[in-house]
Amino acid sequence: MPQSIYERHGGFATVRKVVSDFYDRALSSEVLAPYFARTSMRTLVDHQTKFVSFLLGGPASYNDDHLQRIHARMGITLPAFDEMVLTMLETLEDHDFTKGEVAAVEHELRSRQSLIVTA
Amino acid sequence: MSGTGAGPDPGADEPASAPELSGQFLRDLLRSVRGVFAVVDAQNWQPILETARFFELFPPDPAEPDGPLGARIEGMDADRAADRVARRRPYSVDVEVSVGPRTLSLTVAFHAADLAGRPVVIIEATDMTKAKETEYMLDSYSRMAEKNARELQREKERAERLLLNIMPRAVFEEMKDFGSVSPQRFDQATILMLDFVDFTEMTVSRHPGELVSELNDIFSAFDRIVELFGCERMKTIGDAYMAVSGLPEANDEHAQAIARVALRMRRYLQKRNESRLEPWLGRIGIHSGPVVGSIVGVQKYVYDIFGPGVNMAARLEAFADPMQIVVSSATYDRISDEFTCRELGEHPIKGFGTQSLYSLESEWKHRR
Repeated sequence: MPQSIYERHGGFATVRKVVSDFYDRALSSEVLAPYFARTSMRTLVDHQTKFVSFLLGGPASYNDDHLQRIHARMGITLPAFDEMVLTMLETLEDHDFTKGEVAAVEHELRSRQSLIVTA
Repeated sequence: MSGTGAGPDPGADEPASAPELSGQFLRDLLRSVRGVFAVVDAQNWQPILETARFFELFPPDPAEPDGPLGARIEGMDADRAADRVARRRPYSVDVEVSVGPRTLSLTVAFHAADLAGRPVVIIEATDMTKAKETEYMLDSYSRMAEKNARELQREKERAERLLLNIMPRAVFEEMKDFGSVSPQRFDQATILMLDFVDFTEMTVSRHPGELVSELNDIFSAFDRIVELFGCERMKTIGDAYMAVSGLPEANDEHAQAIARVALRMRRYLQKRNESRLEPWLGRIGIHSGPVVGSIVGVQKYVYDIFGPGVNMAARLEAFADPMQIVVSSATYDRISDEFTCRELGEHPIKGFGTQSLYSLESEWKHRR
């Protein structure tokens, strides 16, 4: 079995830095921050940890139903989704992920756009 | 005055003293530092001074702007804080404060101090947000990892069960520990071969689902019998069933164990046939001799045994009449003290010359 991006980058030791950085950037973004306003820090960190681990092929899994259910009431717009994708890709770039890996993650994200964007 | 220049600088005649801190300077300082602290009167907890950052994070309630400062820190136990401070014991409380979309995690500590003879409390908050984030992230990660570990464990147990279907436990343990299994010769072993009369005809005359289901029932029953007597089911090929005793663990009573298995198998078939229109008639051949046991195959591997003894058992099974158990003289010699056998005379067996054969009838101690 080929190694996942998660494994190639040394597992959680590296991924936790990406999670932490992405969390900061998301909360600093005027577009994204309002979506998190009513979420507790513990829930948000938990969500982001699973989300980043999942995206990079780590030990978390979401099926399409699950993704759709948890985003259904958030009213996410296409610009907000685009901003999230861009923020994630920039975070990965700044943590020395290769162009190919960043593109693969973008593909993963974009392929689920219709499950997330509901407004 | 000597002007040698060796004396002290006239400008430094008086020792340098700390400059007086002006009220304005203090106000500027409290506004500009990033530290989060305040000093309150220990009697009434009214603020004496606080930094701008403290005010920002713990703003007064607009409805009660002059209330005690303790009321502004949600989650703090005012009585306990006052009590601890009075006894000069440590007290701190963890609080979460929202600033815009962010939640800051702060540890607020209270210390007693003295301000020109007046008891005061110094309140200082330390930003623990990053540490909290890391703690929550680790919680999240460990839950994920533990969940994965549980799933892996279940998967491992499932794989073990599958492997135990195709090899004896002792062989499986060797493979698990060393990654491979070395072929091994077992000098003392007894092999049982069974197959069914006219099975080929049954496959075309009966519904395939029904046939497989019946075969499955019968072989499952055989598996239980084999296990009951400490033998090993080696494999099934179509309607043929092969069991062995004496490996992978040695068993001095290998021939007796297999003889008991054979009698129980026949008894099971007889009982089963009584209640059915179409009988399953088994033929059984038994031989005792050395065999080699090994894992064979790379991708689709299986534990198997080889040697002339295996072929001999197969030949005797083919020789047997329906519901007859034919044993070779090698097996007969080992079991004749405990089992009733009937002599069948000498017969040519392909590849083995002429052999004295016996039909196993019953066990002495438990005549059936």
